[in-house]
Amino acid sequence: MTKEKTRYDAVVIGAGHNGLTTAALLAKKGRKVLVVERRDSIGGLAASEEFYKDYRAPAILHSTTSVRERVVRKLNLRKFGLEMDATPPPVFSPHTENRGLLLHYDPEKAYDEIARFSKHDAERYADYRKFIGKVRRFINSVFDDTPPDLASGGRRDLWRMVMKGVAFQRLGKKTMMELFRIGPMSVADWLDEWFETDLLKASLAGPAIYGSFTGPRSPGSAFNLLLWECAQGPAVKGGAPVLVRALEEAARELGVTILKGVRVFRINVSEGRSSGVTLENSQEIPARVVAASCDPKTTFLDLVESREISESLEHRMRHFRSFGTTAKVNVALSSRIDFDDRKGEVVEFIRIGESLNDLERAFDAVKYGRISERPVLDIYVPTFQNKDFAPKGHAVFSVLFHFAPYELRGGWNQAERDSLAEKVIETLSYYARGIEDSIEACRVLSPQDIETDFGTTQGHIYHGEHAIDQMLVRPLPECSQYKTPISGLYLCGSGSHPGGGLTCAPGELAARSILASS
Amino acid sequence: MPRKYDAIIVGGGHNGLVCAAYLAKAGKSVLVLERRHVLGGAAVTEELHPGFKFSVFAYVVSLFRPHIIRELNLARHGLEIIPLEASFLPLPDGDSLCRWADPQLTRREIERFSKKDAEVYAEFGQTMMKMAFFAKSIIDHPAPDPTSRKLSELLKMLGLAKRFKSLGSDLTYLHLKMLTMSALDFLDMWFESDVLKAPMSVSGIIGTFLGVRSPGTAYVLLHHYMGEIDGAFRSWGFAKGGMGRVSLAVASAALEFGTEIRTEAPVRQFLIKNNSCKGVVLENGDELEAKAVFSSLDPNRTFMRLVGPMHLDPEFRQQIRRYKLRGSSGKVNLALDRFPEFACRPGAGPHLRGDVAIAPSTQYLEKAYDQAKYGEFSERPYLNIVIPSLVDPSLAPPGKHILSAFVQYAPYHRDGGPQTWPKHREAFGDAVVDTIAEYCPNIKESILYRQVLTPFDIEQMTGLSEGNIFQGELSMEQMLFLRPAPGWARYRSPIRNLWMCGSANHPGGGVMGAPGELAAKTYLGTVR
Repeated sequence: MTKEKTRYDAVVIGAGHNGLTTAALLAKKGRKVLVVERRDSIGGLAASEEFYKDYRAPAILHSTTSVRERVVRKLNLRKFGLEMDATPPPVFSPHTENRGLLLHYDPEKAYDEIARFSKHDAERYADYRKFIGKVRRFINSVFDDTPPDLASGGRRDLWRMVMKGVAFQRLGKKTMMELFRIGPMSVADWLDEWFETDLLKASLAGPAIYGSFTGPRSPGSAFNLLLWECAQGPAVKGGAPVLVRALEEAARELGVTILKGVRVFRINVSEGRSSGVTLENSQEIPARVVAASCDPKTTFLDLVESREISESLEHRMRHFRSFGTTAKVNVALSSRIDFDDRKGEVVEFIRIGESLNDLERAFDAVKYGRISERPVLDIYVPTFQNKDFAPKGHAVFSVLFHFAPYELRGGWNQAERDSLAEKVIETLSYYARGIEDSIEACRVLSPQDIETDFGTTQGHIYHGEHAIDQMLVRPLPECSQYKTPISGLYLCGSGSHPGGGLTCAPGELAARSILASS
Repeated sequence: MPRKYDAIIVGGGHNGLVCAAYLAKAGKSVLVLERRHVLGGAAVTEELHPGFKFSVFAYVVSLFRPHIIRELNLARHGLEIIPLEASFLPLPDGDSLCRWADPQLTRREIERFSKKDAEVYAEFGQTMMKMAFFAKSIIDHPAPDPTSRKLSELLKMLGLAKRFKSLGSDLTYLHLKMLTMSALDFLDMWFESDVLKAPMSVSGIIGTFLGVRSPGTAYVLLHHYMGEIDGAFRSWGFAKGGMGRVSLAVASAALEFGTEIRTEAPVRQFLIKNNSCKGVVLENGDELEAKAVFSSLDPNRTFMRLVGPMHLDPEFRQQIRRYKLRGSSGKVNLALDRFPEFACRPGAGPHLRGDVAIAPSTQYLEKAYDQAKYGEFSERPYLNIVIPSLVDPSLAPPGKHILSAFVQYAPYHRDGGPQTWPKHREAFGDAVVDTIAEYCPNIKESILYRQVLTPFDIEQMTGLSEGNIFQGELSMEQMLFLRPAPGWARYRSPIRNLWMCGSANHPGGGVMGAPGELAAKTYLGTVR
């Protein structure tokens, strides 16, 4: 029973990085905000968890190189312990037949490593970075801003489109044409134009296919890489857990109330207007604004009663593609891990996949409902900077496993999870001989587990595929600007523009939209 | 002193001929040069076996622009098109699905697999027609250039945007999705039955090196729908007398306008002086001059071979190098001594007076693609089969038939390199015949003659680089103002007086004649 009827200006559903961002930014402007989180811990996919006694790791997402500096500044996150490294961190791609490739962001630092494979590529890499540098500002101006409403935009949208058009024109004809050309390409075709070294191409291509129903030969994947590259910045020291802690403390200091272990049962709507939420314990929380950072399918198909949305919206929302293809594996290791021929070099980020064909084959499996035999692994070593994440001298690998289908042929069960863990260990053992002897524990979350534990539909780590047709009008045209056809209901999660990953951008842009209209 | 032509057209394929006819019609003196002994390029009829006349490469008239037929009066020049009556899908379990010209019949067929899909099918067709109608306004004009600052271009874009918005918000959204979605994802939004989705999705992969699940294929689906729209003129059909008739009708019109046509006149190189094209040099050493030269060949052949890389600036050269051709399809032509019986629906019924798709499931199609990705031909390929002798008896001796199968996938860049194709040609042919035999058990013993065309063979015979039937992939990065190279989508080339008029130009491949027509009209200044 509530002691007093507190009337909130806004209720935010979900205390993930986006939900917290929205909540804190609203509170900063004097709104009274409540965040309700279904899990017992804060941070959603970015939370940190003790997955095995004395070992901690990011729950799901772990790459912090796309966190928006603007959010850090606006919420003064540095005050709450957030520190950024100087440059984007290097990524190590091991190889079974050679020393592998430690790829620095800065082409000068990367030169020697790449030149061991190809001088041509070492030089082209500088051109590649130069190209990214050239288009970066324009791309980010589009992807760090509320998207224009293409379908039914008014004069303001038109004006903003014109302004973007002018910025676009400034790139020059050649670059404009090039952007038009790259967008629909496959990342394999695009990288083939730049480089000749398989390992380099595979290393760069990884982020273009993570989380999607996409292989490197799928058209449109070059667009994903372009967005990723343009968003790259320094990583948060200590990774996702530090980010979440800073967001939480900032929100609390600004007066946000956070309730944990509380599930929303329904978003209350009457006459096309949301009036708050009803919790699973039947408690009603009235609020003028509801901001949902859960995925759009959960929002519209579970939390809002179907009579409140149009048939067409429902139909298209059902077809918003969110088929999970990623499993999460956290590995507890009893010693630090050295890669073969790299003794003593400790790395924080590792990508496994030796060629574009390896990546493509890994993707093939998921089309037929199977787990990749030779998976593509995206690995983060949280113990690199967080010494307290494991007992002294021990280590943790946080592994995103691509690809594992949400709907596995024959269904997910413990045996399948175990066999997935074995695949991870076997794959790692190709590059770090003897690693199997150091393994203390392995915790696997299948896409179905991710759905069950975190509430993301079909376990999609980005709340919906990153594909061209699901960007800019994300998730659907009528709610691509965070407001929805239901007045007072906003979307503020990864299912909105500019998409998933630890960026905090949807949360920030949603807050802007809410503040502008209330 | 040899005469100087107003225009020399290199390549006597259908686009080259259309271009020639329009130029001649405008009073220009025009010469067409064709390397082979037959006109038509990939749209030819040849008697490969005594009494059996094959449309060797292209086999259906798909998108030929109706206004070209009118403007060049092609009916009078012998062009007659027999509409396809059905699209037939035999299934391995003995069932089958036939989609007819008559919507009621089709509905009953689909109902057996899904009542819901039968309902939606007509609505889907209507939506596609509306979208194709909009797309038509793009394919019948030179591609607008969104990077231009010219007022005329901006107005054109604005005009398109207006038309686009007038489609209504649901359709505009669908259109945008369609540009980048996969054919299968797009069909998933409408239908539930795999038996229906599989044969429908294949329109999205024809001539591409993509699978039905690859993003971007939904657009190719639409590209193939445009052939079905012009109500009065059903442009999906067989050309009576084979595909060569299309080319010959255009050639006949061109001749009537005064065009000169030479066959067996291969061109060795273009005459380039001071970055300007003055004419051509034939293989026999003859030099022919012209005010303008039009190449209907693909960009690789045009620029890398006939112009020569030394005449190109490095940036353009790179653009042409990275233009993706990689052919992915082959063709098997069979002369049969009897009618091929399909076990699931025996008899020479009307269901075979159209095309037959071997596409039993979407998974089958995707698996076929997976093999091709790694450089092998599909052991169980997607086939599009036609038996044109059934509707046009003039093509085979009485009681006998011709059957041709369009085959996908057969990657040009096979494992070991394209030059290893001849070693694998018969194995490829066997895979195709074995596939047909699963549905058509009597096929093997009725074969009198078999021609297997791999992409390597298509390249050798027609000159299409890498055997690509569209002179370059119809993928978004090579469409519209980017085809064949960014900034060169208006039929001009960086070499003065050298023009391009083949399928490698907007609006792309298929026997549509539009690139030839638009190139001529652009040159004549009669099109915006």
